[in-house]
Amino acid sequence: MSTSPAASADHADEQGLIPELKHFGKATGGKIAMWMFIAQDGMSFGGLLFAYGVLRSSAEDWPVPSEILGIGLTATATFLLICSSLSMVFAVLAAQENNQAGLVRWLAVTILGGATFLGIQAYEYTHLVHAGIGFANSSWQGEPINDLFGTTFYAVTGFHGLHVLSGVIYLSVILKGAMAGKYTQGGLSYSPVELVGLFWHFVDLVWILVFTFVYLL
Amino acid sequence: MAHEVTTTDVDQDNAHRSTHQSHRATYVTIFLILGVLTIFEVFVPEVYSAGWSGQTKMLLLCILAIGKAALVALYFMHLKYEKPWLRWIGYTPIYMGFAVIIIMLESYYRVPGN
Repeated sequence: MSTSPAASADHADEQGLIPELKHFGKATGGKIAMWMFIAQDGMSFGGLLFAYGVLRSSAEDWPVPSEILGIGLTATATFLLICSSLSMVFAVLAAQENNQAGLVRWLAVTILGGATFLGIQAYEYTHLVHAGIGFANSSWQGEPINDLFGTTFYAVTGFHGLHVLSGVIYLSVILKGAMAGKYTQGGLSYSPVELVGLFWHFVDLVWILVFTFVYLL
Repeated sequence: MAHEVTTTDVDQDNAHRSTHQSHRATYVTIFLILGVLTIFEVFVPEVYSAGWSGQTKMLLLCILAIGKAALVALYFMHLKYEKPWLRWIGYTPIYMGFAVIIIMLESYYRVPGN
């Protein structure tokens, strides 16, 4: 059988494999479920950032984050996540085109981006802990600072880091399936790649906000 | 049954390939915009130290962050192309964002002692 490089997503649509729902159009059940999960998870992050804002605004002695945190390094990590979002959309396109080699390549690039981000975060945590910024007690250059600075920093960035770790594991599972050719068989077989993509872009989106509120402001 | 390739199939294949090429161009454009905005963001604190007010810096950073997040949601997550119900599910956490912005604004505008 010759494999057509045409977009299987569009073919699936034309073949009527995706039912037309009154309120959700051609969105699959998996996609609707993933969006509901993302909405809930977004509110979890919103709650953390809200708590951060309340604690910071009520403190008289909050340090200037850019004087303690490495903005240059974190900006690099932010750019890395944006790059991995681009490789993720290319992975979804490759799956929709039944391009197995392309899918495997772009998924691997995305995983590498996520793993490097985690490496940078581990380096940053190690550096900060040695400099005196602990989870419960914080000091900077030998002087005690508001302890909540470290607590909120690790709570918000740690929660996001766990999402990146989950995303890297999720992507690795999808990569294994991609290497076996599970998502490049036409029809709706690309759908799991689209779902992991939604999760990964969400992780990127949240970091954009965390970077501004925790590091830059 | 073997599927016979017809002229219509080939036309559809070409149309799909062209659509995907246009998607690729959109994704790369969005990526470049995000990259430039990130570089700009990092230089905002420098702008602040150059004499701009804290409020200007904060407002600029908030607009940049929200703009970047919106680009990721609308284009990379395809929210722009979804039906309104799915879009509203995606927009749900925004109210938490408004709360965060109000709290941050309060911290900058509060008069000490009041």
